[in-house]
Amino acid sequence: MSKVIVNAQMPLSYDSGQHNLLVFLEQHKQSVSFQCREGFCGACRCKLISGEVRYLQEPLAFVRKGEFLPCCSVPIGDISIEIPK
Amino acid sequence: MAYTTFNRNINDQLKEPMFFGNAVNVSRYDQQKYPIFEKLIEKQLSFFWRPEEIDVSKDRIDFQQLPDHEKHIFLSNLKYQTLLDSVQGRSPNVALLPIVSIPELETWIETWAFSETIHSRSYTHIVRNITAEPHKVFDDIMLNEKILERAQDVTRYYDALIDGVNLYQRCGEGNHNINGNIESITLRELKKRLYLCMMSVNVLEAIRFYVSFACSFAFAERELMEGNAKIIRLIARDEALHLTGTQHILNIMASGDDDPEMAEIARECEEDAYAIFMLAAEQEKDWAAYLFKDGSMIGLNKDILCQYVEYITNSRMQAVGLKPRFATTQNPIPWINTWLVSDNVQVAPQESEISSYLVGQIDNEVDSDEFGDFDL
Repeated sequence: MSKVIVNAQMPLSYDSGQHNLLVFLEQHKQSVSFQCREGFCGACRCKLISGEVRYLQEPLAFVRKGEFLPCCSVPIGDISIEIPK
Repeated sequence: MAYTTFNRNINDQLKEPMFFGNAVNVSRYDQQKYPIFEKLIEKQLSFFWRPEEIDVSKDRIDFQQLPDHEKHIFLSNLKYQTLLDSVQGRSPNVALLPIVSIPELETWIETWAFSETIHSRSYTHIVRNITAEPHKVFDDIMLNEKILERAQDVTRYYDALIDGVNLYQRCGEGNHNINGNIESITLRELKKRLYLCMMSVNVLEAIRFYVSFACSFAFAERELMEGNAKIIRLIARDEALHLTGTQHILNIMASGDDDPEMAEIARECEEDAYAIFMLAAEQEKDWAAYLFKDGSMIGLNKDILCQYVEYITNSRMQAVGLKPRFATTQNPIPWINTWLVSDNVQVAPQESEISSYLVGQIDNEVDSDEFGDFDL
């Protein structure tokens, strides 16, 4: 179980074995833009404030330092993220 | 500096910049400076599709029953997309291949342009199927003022780059007397033209296509023109990948790791980059006004489409490191996302829903996590 803090709100709990972070965020009614859901378009790009994520498949989209793609990743331990407006 | 199809200089391709280094000699992929381009090629090849695979015969009946103002929306979008893909099917090859210096990027450019030619052929496939007089649709592209206005801004950066590269490769840097006219060119000026050209291509693929995509999917939401929507969906999937390609090129340029001068140029051209984005957004809003001049369609009107243009422009600007300039933060047509999800793209009814089946079917890595949700 890891904690996912979104936009500095109350932490959400993520069970290992759950889907990728994009599905997880959607289940918790967080609106994240998306398109391909496979890591190649980069539409779901979010900021990773602290913690680490593991990619289920290496993204093709351009990802800057401090950013990650929720559509193809899962958290390693607790993370804090920011969904861009 | 003349272009050669097989450069005899023995060079270390890993030390070449993306553009304006030595011309490529051996097309080898055992060593790669930027492996991302090889990955994009593989992904693009896994997306391969042919327009003829998609049945658009029901669209003919739908089209005949559309009211005139919706026929106008549908055909105008097809014409505009035909223009965009006519440009994109040839220009990356003509403009970028003479100056590219690393083999994986060279092959990505060719793969990218090839997939645009599939899009062009698919428009003919659609038009042939919905009307008995396809020539009327295509002939109008060269006469339609609204389309020609856009053609000007879509092509001018490509043309400026091609023109400069021709002069540079023939005569080198400096002032040259060409048929009595003095023309000057520097490598730095060429790099600037290249940067602006990539930015304009990025805008073309990131914003210009999406107004038409939104209309196609709005028809399909009403279960109209669904064959067309299936094709547009495949095109949108390809475009998302091309967009990733140009975003990578732009970001590598701006980082300066590849060519320090390119990073300076990226900083210098920041205002020009904003201007390219803002002008394209304004033109697309004008286009929305032209589409809906005789009436809106259910689920979509001029205002919603303009908000969508602003929303998408903001997000595309952020992707290349620019600040968003519009106030819109919400997607006004969230339903479009379900049409853009690549997993749902189905080429033919007998095939599996996952269309990336051509590569990567087998994953040899099995981690204990995979059994996380197993119950005995």
